[in-house]
Amino acid sequence: MELYIGGYAQGKLNYVLNKTGIPISKVYDAAETVPGCSLTEAAVINHFHILVKNFLLEGKNPEEFIRKILIENPGLIIISDEVGNGIVPADAQKREYRERLGRLLCNLAEKAERVERILCGIGQKIK
Amino acid sequence: MTVLITGGSGSGKSAYAEKTAVSLAGQSPLYYLATMKIYDDEGRKKVHRHRDLRAGKGFTTIEQPTDLPKAVTGLSRGKGTVLLECLSNLVANEMFPGEEICSGVEVEQRVCRGICLLAQKAEHLVIVTNNVFEDGIRYEDTTCAYMEALGRVNTFAAGIADSVVEVVVGISVPVKGKLL
Repeated sequence: MELYIGGYAQGKLNYVLNKTGIPISKVYDAAETVPGCSLTEAAVINHFHILVKNFLLEGKNPEEFIRKILIENPGLIIISDEVGNGIVPADAQKREYRERLGRLLCNLAEKAERVERILCGIGQKIK
Repeated sequence: MTVLITGGSGSGKSAYAEKTAVSLAGQSPLYYLATMKIYDDEGRKKVHRHRDLRAGKGFTTIEQPTDLPKAVTGLSRGKGTVLLECLSNLVANEMFPGEEICSGVEVEQRVCRGICLLAQKAEHLVIVTNNVFEDGIRYEDTTCAYMEALGRVNTFAAGIADSVVEVVVGISVPVKGKLL
């Protein structure tokens, strides 16, 4: 598994697709109502943070879900926004989301073979 | 030496900071300078999580939610390594002590004086701060004043630090000096 993180609109997906040659048809996009392909067929999960946000809104456990997906699909590429670099929100649900996503990304980064942070479309390999 | 560690919420900066403090300390005393004021269950949980992380590592805890220079008197076991966590709480506590709001410049001076004193008195100082600056939201004036004060305190701390590290998804990225 590989993890690609960065801020909003930093060109993360394009960076990954250009680098790997993976076609867009193999991208599961959590921000789309029709995600593009099934999670088990996906080579890439884009907007992973939205997937986590939706899970929390539905009262489901995103940690357990991603653990299972990775067993079936260990070569997955995960792309996520970084959302923790701001003022801690007054809203408890938003705080929970930031905190859970942050910890989840730490865990994924620990397991990942490669972690890159993308800024202005350029990847910086941090693991 | 002085090390400044920054990162966002849930970035793993605390765990990294502890590891750094423990390895710097060796056999010498380890102090944990706690700045968080507890208001509710969420705060209590946070403190417990951090306590569990620190358990068994030999930290003496000094509660210092405000008035950082005073923390020096708490170094009861002699010179050692101080882990100060974190500047974002400290600046908030100093700026918003109750109903009134303190001036950002005064708070900045007080906190920076405390950092200098600790850096002098301790053998090693590990400071944790929080990257609250990159969500692109324009907050109301009070919050902006807080962000500006914290930004200046961070800049000061980074200036005197031998090493500045950003923790990203649990991975340390050097900003100034070398990683330990």
